[in-house]
Amino acid sequence: MLTPDDADFNEAAELFSLDAHIPTRDYLDQMWDRRAFAMAMPLEEVRSTHQDTLLGNVWHLANPLLSVAVYYLVFGVFLNANRGVDNYVLWLMVGVFTFGLTTRSVVAGASTMTANVGLMRSMRFPRALLPISTVFGRLLTFGFELVVIAVVAVLTGQGLSRRVLVLPIIIVVHTALNLGLAFIAARLNDTFRDVQQLIPFLFRLLMYVSGVMIPIGTFLDKEGVSPLLLRVVTLNPMVSIINLYRWVFLDESINVTNTLEMLGLVTVTLVFGFGFFRARELKYGRS
Amino acid sequence: MGDRDDAVASPRTPLALRLTDVHIEYELFAERRAALRDRFASRAGDGRRVVRAVNGVSFDVYEGESVGMLGSNGSGKSTLLAAIAGLLAPVAGEILVSAEPKLMGVGATLIPAASGYRNIRLGCLALGMSPDAIEEQFDEIAAFTELGDALERPLRTFSSGMRARLHFAIATAMTPRILLIDEALAVGDKGFKAKSAARISDMLADAGTLLLVSHSMAELQSHCKRGIWIDKGIVRMDGPINEVVAAYSAEG
Repeated sequence: MLTPDDADFNEAAELFSLDAHIPTRDYLDQMWDRRAFAMAMPLEEVRSTHQDTLLGNVWHLANPLLSVAVYYLVFGVFLNANRGVDNYVLWLMVGVFTFGLTTRSVVAGASTMTANVGLMRSMRFPRALLPISTVFGRLLTFGFELVVIAVVAVLTGQGLSRRVLVLPIIIVVHTALNLGLAFIAARLNDTFRDVQQLIPFLFRLLMYVSGVMIPIGTFLDKEGVSPLLLRVVTLNPMVSIINLYRWVFLDESINVTNTLEMLGLVTVTLVFGFGFFRARELKYGRS
Repeated sequence: MGDRDDAVASPRTPLALRLTDVHIEYELFAERRAALRDRFASRAGDGRRVVRAVNGVSFDVYEGESVGMLGSNGSGKSTLLAAIAGLLAPVAGEILVSAEPKLMGVGATLIPAASGYRNIRLGCLALGMSPDAIEEQFDEIAAFTELGDALERPLRTFSSGMRARLHFAIATAMTPRILLIDEALAVGDKGFKAKSAARISDMLADAGTLLLVSHSMAELQSHCKRGIWIDKGIVRMDGPINEVVAAYSAEG
């Protein structure tokens, strides 16, 4: 018991600062304590995204399916880019859906800090939960897309192999990349609102060099391709990630070196993205 | 720190808050600055468009104290409250708290597209309540708002008074040790004011701490014992609420 005579009496209740940069461990603890929030937010978001449209939540699935149809018409039928691919519909579908998950995660991640200003102005919680919850939200629809892929695999005679058991690990790696990119996009867009407008174009460009619609080999196997270009293309983590999904569903061969490089790049992106995002922690929702 | 301790009325109770020479900057024309164009324009032109909202504020608040903060619009009261809540960082000085304060502001939009019920749930989760605790208290929180079936509607359809009820219910669900209220009581009707007053006195009786920003002198006098007058970002006067209100009213 402290008595008023003790010099330290006023310090009896330990005072602390809320704006001190808290250790990463404590920050992660706070995030873990609020994990239920990170899971509940995306459900809410998915529910409300299309609530004003006629078909409502059907669009979550119709949208990517229509994309596949458009790309099939353009690249499969008109341009005949499906050379060397046996099951082009499935091959294209895996590419479009998996690449689409990254695009949508980053686009949503970019706007999440501005979309949730009201919440941030009234409540204190680790801001990193917002990009995390948007990335998780995109995973919900991706789950349905994987089911569609599986159905198409069976219908086209491809069937499903035991390799689907590895799918959860691939999704974890893919999500780590999406998170890292979403963190970076969220912070950049909070400083410069223009970023949100630029991201779709960046990803459209990236899509053409990630082997989504046209096999990468089509333009890399040619003579006279500069080794530097070849290096840049193979370092693109999306190439290796899509390759892993196609390995699962289409038994495409895996390049081990590229895959290991991808794992390293994903780790760097996630760690850097998280740190980059946190550096602005107390400014979100304010400027 | 010695001279501070001499100045306070009752050094027997522990400190709830200690503000030491707090400076807070505020970015003007926030929406416009966010565009890339303005970023470059301001670099080339008159420098950053920044104003000092709070310019060296120091005071201590003890547990169980109820402090009314008054001052004209733009004097820095709300900014200071947001900083105490840990929602923005001072550029200089230090804010120390004994527990994480909960802020209740009039403009709280939370999640506009979600229903009142979902906002209660998500708001409590964001504040760190466990899903079990929310389940247990949910009916009580919903009942406190007295909004009935309106809680099924999206929050964006709520009036400011309805929002204040909802936000007050969420902010006090966990019985905060330090409650910060930014003009949010004024928008409520008579019944809500009585209920929130009862909840506030419960909290104060339990050694909780209240900081209330208001333009209603009657409200400040009924809830608070001490008054702090903030003027142009500094403390103009700090003393018993009646004296501070009298001095503030005399000025005009």
